[in-house]
Amino acid sequence: MKCPIETRESAELLLAYCTRELDAESTAMLERHMEICPACREFALGQRAVWEALDAWEAAPVTPDFDRRLYRRIDREVPWWNLLMRPLRPVLLRQGLPIAAAACLLVMAGVLLERPAGAPPAAQPQSAQVEALQPDQVEPALDAMHMLGEFSNRMPGDATDSKM
Amino acid sequence: MPERVKTDMGGATAALDYDAELMLRVKEGDGASFGLLLEKHRSPVVHFLYRMVQNHAVAEELAQEVFLRVYRSRSSYEPTAKFTTWLFRIATHLALNSLRDGKNERLQERLDRDSVELPARQVSDNRPSVEQKMVYQVKLEEVRLAVAALPEKQRAAVLMHKYEEMEYSQIARVLRCSESAVKSLLFRAYETLRARLAHMA
Repeated sequence: MKCPIETRESAELLLAYCTRELDAESTAMLERHMEICPACREFALGQRAVWEALDAWEAAPVTPDFDRRLYRRIDREVPWWNLLMRPLRPVLLRQGLPIAAAACLLVMAGVLLERPAGAPPAAQPQSAQVEALQPDQVEPALDAMHMLGEFSNRMPGDATDSKM
Repeated sequence: MPERVKTDMGGATAALDYDAELMLRVKEGDGASFGLLLEKHRSPVVHFLYRMVQNHAVAEELAQEVFLRVYRSRSSYEPTAKFTTWLFRIATHLALNSLRDGKNERLQERLDRDSVELPARQVSDNRPSVEQKMVYQVKLEEVRLAVAALPEKQRAAVLMHKYEEMEYSQIARVLRCSESAVKSLLFRAYETLRARLAHMA
């Protein structure tokens, strides 16, 4: 057998041997080789030591409220209307269509009853549009009218011409 | 948005694993199936994350995020790979991000603090002596430091190989690399660990 430690590919054999993933035939072959190969023996011993050391590393148990915290976060992501509807969901799933139809009928009936019968729609005034002056525009307008009056009084030529 | 699994399962006829079936039920609105998945994978995910980030509180927080992402993506879930491959891909992604977000520089501090709160060992007949406890703690500290010193991807590969007993092909799918790359990662990681821990034999 070629020494497995010489190439990385073959060294996988040693790793598999140490993790007991190797089939019986390969295991036997490797063990025969290790009897005469100190390098492979050392590799296997070292790998076993690593394996056992890692085995000793226990992780702490999960805290008891892990699930509660998770479901609270999930609930926070669910829209509030879904939370409100949650108790009604089984009923809605079974009788959703009749309930929806009844609700539609109720809404339509409400709309029809609310509208007063025969009430004509309010007519839009169709008068000529007259621009209304705003209160703050009144004073300048009066001033302008006063100036126009004075201007026409001070135009004697015009008055003579008009007399001619 | 959680990552989606797009890896090939080695054939279109690959049978659905039970977890994937449960996840499909979650997709259909079955909350109880989510509870079953949580029950089954809670501890492996928390323990994997704990060994990655070496802080129990951070590990639980990350695990919550993992399951939250699983739940959020239920509507778009497609069983294109083993459920655990997808689950551990999310977990590894979050752990690597957490370590890269600058939290790893506080790792030594955590190791020192966490070493005080070691899990109680289950010894049925006789309690370990003070000396035995100290030997155990020293040994454990060495293991933790040796694993923490591994590059992140090597660490993830070793933890999935050793504790989750994943095959090379599955680790490759989780880490999105080739199978030979995983073998190389593991070989180098164990080489480093042998150098640091072989004296424990």
